[in-house]
Amino acid sequence: MATDLHISPLGRVEGDLDVRVMVDDGVVTDAWTTAGMFRGFEMILKGKDPQAGLIVTPRICGICGGSHLTKTVYALDTAWRTEVPPNATLIRNIAQACETLQSIPRWFYALFAIDLTNKNYAKAKEYDEAVRRFAPFVGTGYEKGVTLSGKPVEIYAIFGGQWPHSSFMVPGGVMCGPTLSDVTRSIAILEYWKDEWLEKEWLGCSVDRWLENKTWDDVLAWVEENESHYNSDCGFFIRYAMETGLDKFGAGFGNYFATGTFWNPDEYTHPTIEGRNRALITRSGVYQDGQYYEFDQANVREDHTHSFYEGAGALHPFDGRTVPVDPAEGQKQGKYSWAKSPRYEIPGVGMKPLEAGPLARQVVAGKPDPLPWQDYDPLFHNAVTTIGPSVMVRVMARMHEAAKYYKLVRSWLDQVDLHEKFYVKPVEHEEGQGFGATEAARGALADWIKIKDGKIENYQVVTPTAWNIGPRDGNNVNGPMEQAFVGSPIADTTDPVELGHVARSFDSCLVCTVHVYDAKTRKEMSRFVVNGNC
Amino acid sequence: MEGGETVVIGCGNLLRGDDAVGPTLIRHLWERGVPEGVRLVDGGTAGMDVAFQMRGAARVILIDACATEAEPGVLYRVPGEALENLPPLDGLHLHAFRWDHALAFGRWLLKDDYPEDITVYLIEAARTDFGAPLSPPVEAAMHDLLDRLIEELSGAHASNR
Repeated sequence: MATDLHISPLGRVEGDLDVRVMVDDGVVTDAWTTAGMFRGFEMILKGKDPQAGLIVTPRICGICGGSHLTKTVYALDTAWRTEVPPNATLIRNIAQACETLQSIPRWFYALFAIDLTNKNYAKAKEYDEAVRRFAPFVGTGYEKGVTLSGKPVEIYAIFGGQWPHSSFMVPGGVMCGPTLSDVTRSIAILEYWKDEWLEKEWLGCSVDRWLENKTWDDVLAWVEENESHYNSDCGFFIRYAMETGLDKFGAGFGNYFATGTFWNPDEYTHPTIEGRNRALITRSGVYQDGQYYEFDQANVREDHTHSFYEGAGALHPFDGRTVPVDPAEGQKQGKYSWAKSPRYEIPGVGMKPLEAGPLARQVVAGKPDPLPWQDYDPLFHNAVTTIGPSVMVRVMARMHEAAKYYKLVRSWLDQVDLHEKFYVKPVEHEEGQGFGATEAARGALADWIKIKDGKIENYQVVTPTAWNIGPRDGNNVNGPMEQAFVGSPIADTTDPVELGHVARSFDSCLVCTVHVYDAKTRKEMSRFVVNGNC
Repeated sequence: MEGGETVVIGCGNLLRGDDAVGPTLIRHLWERGVPEGVRLVDGGTAGMDVAFQMRGAARVILIDACATEAEPGVLYRVPGEALENLPPLDGLHLHAFRWDHALAFGRWLLKDDYPEDITVYLIEAARTDFGAPLSPPVEAAMHDLLDRLIEELSGAHASNR
């Protein structure tokens, strides 16, 4: 019998992600995702100084504010045709990567792995071990992973002044003048994090040994290679995921895209939209039905047919419109989410929903013909073409990046030339348009800006979460996360932890909304009033 | 990291009207000069990191907006223990993680490095619309609090409480 089930798989906070699924014989047959919050920053930015985005967009999120800053600054660099000295590119790369390194263990232990201790798995052979490692606050892995997750952003703060919400990247470079001791301190912090968490706790081996794994069979052989691998949190997670079936659901469409991030410092001294793909270190690309395509921002569309905005259809972000409608009115037109539905128009193929995130990046990393400075890594292309995508594979792609990004940050720290400049003052052109993109921990993040008469004429932010959790488009094709729910088993409809696994495997980033304190009432608080105008 | 430090943390979302009062106050304090032994932190909306920022401090002063249904601009001064609140573990996500969770979380995370003295100042918000400026009563309360804090932090006068 079919059941209609409404849940909030990411928490009980009103206004976040709500999911409705149809369950038939214990398996999800269809899904609808609803983002319950209106995002108003595009409207805040209209008519403001072009650089307002450097202040506003890092405040969109308390978790990936550094990624917002990175793509905002490149949107301005391309619009103003700036010169960015190699040192500034290195520092921007380091900062962006450190934010993601912070996110990896924090996401795994504080958000994802808690669900592995759900009573749904009490019969699993390794359940007690999962609880011992991953139980919140008391788990052995939880404590180390969460405590050490604060380390990489200490490096961000050394260069960026603060983390979160720094605005230290500016058109033409970065606002910092690092000293030798800043660089050596950063190296020491990075090495400590790598030694204490990444190698000792997560991998049970050296970063270099892990990176020798080129196929999923290599990974399975690695788990069995010795006790240290087998008993590491990584070895344990892979074994437990296969025992509990996390390798069997959550696949989605199996189609991916990445805007790529990190720039070769010598190849992007004059950032342009056209020169971006070539300068990237971790590449951009599109993967649809087993074929690789080049990524071109001109092919991005935002469909709002099922979103609470005026009208229907799909527009390029340069022409994007964000005109909200009353949800009650919108529902009458079949609209059901505040998220738009980003899509990618593949020439000759059509408009497609594509998954963003670490798995997408790592599949794109397997694209042939890299330039000498570009990352080529066949592991996850192999995984999705052999065992197929799943919750487990999505998690492992994210964790894999810890080793890769560690290596990159280390090499960039060695390349900073303290005697050279970090900033070249740009000409603030009155007119122009720009595109900036990066990869936040949770996927491709991009800004499109149009500048007219020295002010922002139009601004659009397209987030990885919109790519993943957006609703159906004008062709009635599901969004990537909606599709990923389809086929999930549901053992207990009163506690559908499986949907939580799928939702969390995407690491959705919802709007950091109002953070005012509202846990106590005026009456409870009255004895604490100090200014007497109560 | 040195002992004896006082850390002042302003929390909230700069884009949401009166919720910006914490980070805005931190900027004003910065402009008026930071007394020795005081570190200013713009905590923004990164809840969990508030706990990391408290590591090793002797004393923490935290500022945020609140919604207790009092008159806008009402200022509360509350001991940290009164507000500690462990985050809900089932369905925790980092966007719902607020500093009151960070206080309880920090006690676990920092152990012996957890500050002994935590004071929270809360200002009742009038509105939290996207892109709105501070409302007049909240702005006035913020300046009142700024004067109090400068007096408290300068050590020239003993706290009147």
